Amino acid sequence: MAMTIDVERLGGTPPVTVVALTGELDASNYEQVIDVVENAYADGSRGLVLDLEQLTFMASSGLFALHSAVRIMRGETPPDPEEGWSALHQMAQDEGQASNVRLAAAQEPIARVLDRTGMLRLFALDGTRAEAIAAIQGA
Amino acid sequence: MTAAREQRLQVPASVDALSDVRAFVRDCVADFGGSKRVADDLVQAVDEATCNVMLHGYGGKPGDIDIEAALRDSKIEIRILDRGPAFDPTAAPKRDANAAPAPTRPGGMGVGIELLRALTDEVHHSVRPDGGNELTLIRSLDGATKED
Repeated sequence: MAMTIDVERLGGTPPVTVVALTGELDASNYEQVIDVVENAYADGSRGLVLDLEQLTFMASSGLFALHSAVRIMRGETPPDPEEGWSALHQMAQDEGQASNVRLAAAQEPIARVLDRTGMLRLFALDGTRAEAIAAIQGA
Repeated sequence: MTAAREQRLQVPASVDALSDVRAFVRDCVADFGGSKRVADDLVQAVDEATCNVMLHGYGGKPGDIDIEAALRDSKIEIRILDRGPAFDPTAAPKRDANAAPAPTRPGGMGVGIELLRALTDEVHHSVRPDGGNELTLIRSLDGATKED
């Protein structure tokens, strides 16, 4: 099953982009997610909601894309896939959960893999897209 | 107990084939009578292992990967067979469960091998006599993994 990506740019402060993923996120398509997030940041978005309600599978390459999203939304260059995630440990220790990148409506298998791999140290899971947007914009 | 039943799939060493691999594993687990939870876990594990073979075992070169699934004594055995250079992912050191995510890269075995261990009951690697690797993942049809 392929993955589709729907992008919605919202106003407000800070400007938020909602990226809804449908299908399966794996090694064949994770770079598309990184590209979308890079474009969102370049267009001025400073908050990001990844809506995972319709995502049924996430491989470790998807986790890499999520980590890249945090880096991009902090104004940093995303990690090079060939160099690994050496900064991830430090980031998890120093920064805690990202405040402006939120994951919404993750299904149970997705939440499980995030938990198993320690990624919940980096991301808060919000029940809905609206809750995630509100968490970023302080509503 | 149930007699051995085997199913197999051959895919090219391309990440575009991973969705076929996942569908195959999901179908096999359902056919063997496994729960959705067992299917979810094995799909995740086989995706990681197969992706690793595609990206690093074959390193972008063309090749085939055979996936064999069998049910023996209420255990699902999935074998992943390749013709790439010998590589034993089970030789990676065990990580502290409380440590932050390990460095890895897409298809790499940093997070991947931890997932394999967490999602299955047993992981075995052997070098095939005629070249290539055989990675066997075993998961009980019933019950949870050792971490639950």
